Amino acid sequence: MARPQSELLRARTRTAWLFLAPMLIVLAMVAGWPLLRTIWFSFTDANLGKMSQAKFIGFENYYASFGGILQDPDWWRSVWNTVWFSVVSVSLETVLGMIVALLLNVDFRGRGFVRAAVLVPWAIPTIVSARMWGWMLHDQFGIINDMLERAHLISGPVAWTADPHLSMWSVVFVDVWKTTSFMALLILAGLQLLPSDCYEAARVDGISPIKVFFRVTLPLIWPALVVAVVFRSLDALRVFDLIYVLTSSAKETMTMSVYARQQLVDFQQVGYGSAAATLLFLIIAAFTALTLIATRSRASEG
Amino acid sequence: MARKATTSRRLVMTFVAYTFALILFFPILWMVITSFKSEADAIALPPKFLFFHWTLANYIDVQARNNYWRFAFNSVALSFGSTVLGLIVGIPAAYAFAFAPTKNTKQILLWMLSTKMMPAVGVLVPIYLLLLQFHLLDTFTGLILILFLSNLPIMIWMLYTYFKEIPHEILEASRMDGASRWKEIVYVLSPMAVPGIASTVLLNIILSWNETFWSLNVTNIHAAPLTAFIASYSSPEGLFWAKLSAASTLAVAPIVLLGWFSQRQLVRGLTFGAVK
Repeated sequence: MARPQSELLRARTRTAWLFLAPMLIVLAMVAGWPLLRTIWFSFTDANLGKMSQAKFIGFENYYASFGGILQDPDWWRSVWNTVWFSVVSVSLETVLGMIVALLLNVDFRGRGFVRAAVLVPWAIPTIVSARMWGWMLHDQFGIINDMLERAHLISGPVAWTADPHLSMWSVVFVDVWKTTSFMALLILAGLQLLPSDCYEAARVDGISPIKVFFRVTLPLIWPALVVAVVFRSLDALRVFDLIYVLTSSAKETMTMSVYARQQLVDFQQVGYGSAAATLLFLIIAAFTALTLIATRSRASEG
Repeated sequence: MARKATTSRRLVMTFVAYTFALILFFPILWMVITSFKSEADAIALPPKFLFFHWTLANYIDVQARNNYWRFAFNSVALSFGSTVLGLIVGIPAAYAFAFAPTKNTKQILLWMLSTKMMPAVGVLVPIYLLLLQFHLLDTFTGLILILFLSNLPIMIWMLYTYFKEIPHEILEASRMDGASRWKEIVYVLSPMAVPGIASTVLLNIILSWNETFWSLNVTNIHAAPLTAFIASYSSPEGLFWAKLSAASTLAVAPIVLLGWFSQRQLVRGLTFGAVK
């Protein structure tokens, strides 16, 4: 009896590997090989102009007497900017997304229409929306300044994307505009799976809606919320195109990705830029590992 | 009494939802309106909302400056090409994950998803050099390969979550009748999973259509899609807002229309994997 079963199991494993092979090969090609090469470049003095003459220089791109990346204040500034951007934008998107999801969960006339309308900002290319906002936030001709002036909220034109104190907030604002509806849809999907009898019971007992939200809704959708927040955070840590289009390579908004691109493409310093890219990988990997550990210990507790 | 309270609350909610949707949609609306203005009207102060001389001149100028249809054709070819490749590799892989799980399945799935976390800029130089070596810079093949590879994990993950819901018994029955694994996928599984495959295809087309980083870095003229077309309007300091708006409207129109009409499938596709 045991033999046919193990044969079946073996056949199944064989099929599995056969069907997975194309995927594994292409992913190894795109995710494994280039990554290893980037790490290798980070230990060389490679330059885009003369790649063949690259020499191994050990950790000098990271730390050296003439200044490695770990001694560059601009790098640390871009690390800080990335973390700040990720924490602020993801928090805002989660809270606002939650509110929008609760709104869209109510059945009203034209709900499908509203749902489609809020999805549009997410569905268009970032390069287009960033350009549009760059213009709407323009200090002289932008409609935002005009509206705020008419509402007497500001007394003169504000340079939203050029003012060092405001540019980061402008970037966060546009990111929130673009991504909140996506968060809302993820949360909404969680909401729609909730059993309605909990709510019936709560309503019969006359419990206030706010209490119902914190005691019933939030705990029930917590798992879906955590997944959405982790995925968004990973995206936010890599943020590139929005910031690059809106504020170019300005120091006040430079993130790790923008820093690495500037070194690699503008300055053609492949070795040094690869060191920045490698550090970016390490930071994202550390964040992912921490999240996995946190969710796993939580799961084993429960 | 209770019923009346809910009705008025519902009215307030409806009003709030519509206001919110309008605010969210306003920048797109403003872009479309601006695209019909003359350059002078576009920068007029105070801004003109509806009462200006509507003109198609910007669209004609944009078409004359850069042949829109060529970029649009490239965008279509690139998104469809990468999607078809993704299905060919993705369906067998998702099938294996869903119907022939081994003890390593979970680890492989995690590893596959983790490749999505790579920042594109980190592998820019190696991939650029690889394309250079194989003479694939500024070719359809090169960019289709990149788009296909970067979206493959998401595609497989989505297909996997759909396939998981299909009962094993049906597939086993067809195998009893002598169908090979391949026939099983093509004739039994795929027709049953059509809604899931449709959502996956939609999401993949949108993601490919919007991809900018690689499109800018590995194409030049021949294979450049619409995102590169927009990027070519690179001096917002010059006062060409109306033309930029017209170009932007042209670039997003196809994808917004597609997304709008398939909103239901798209939302289901986006949310399925996250919840299950």
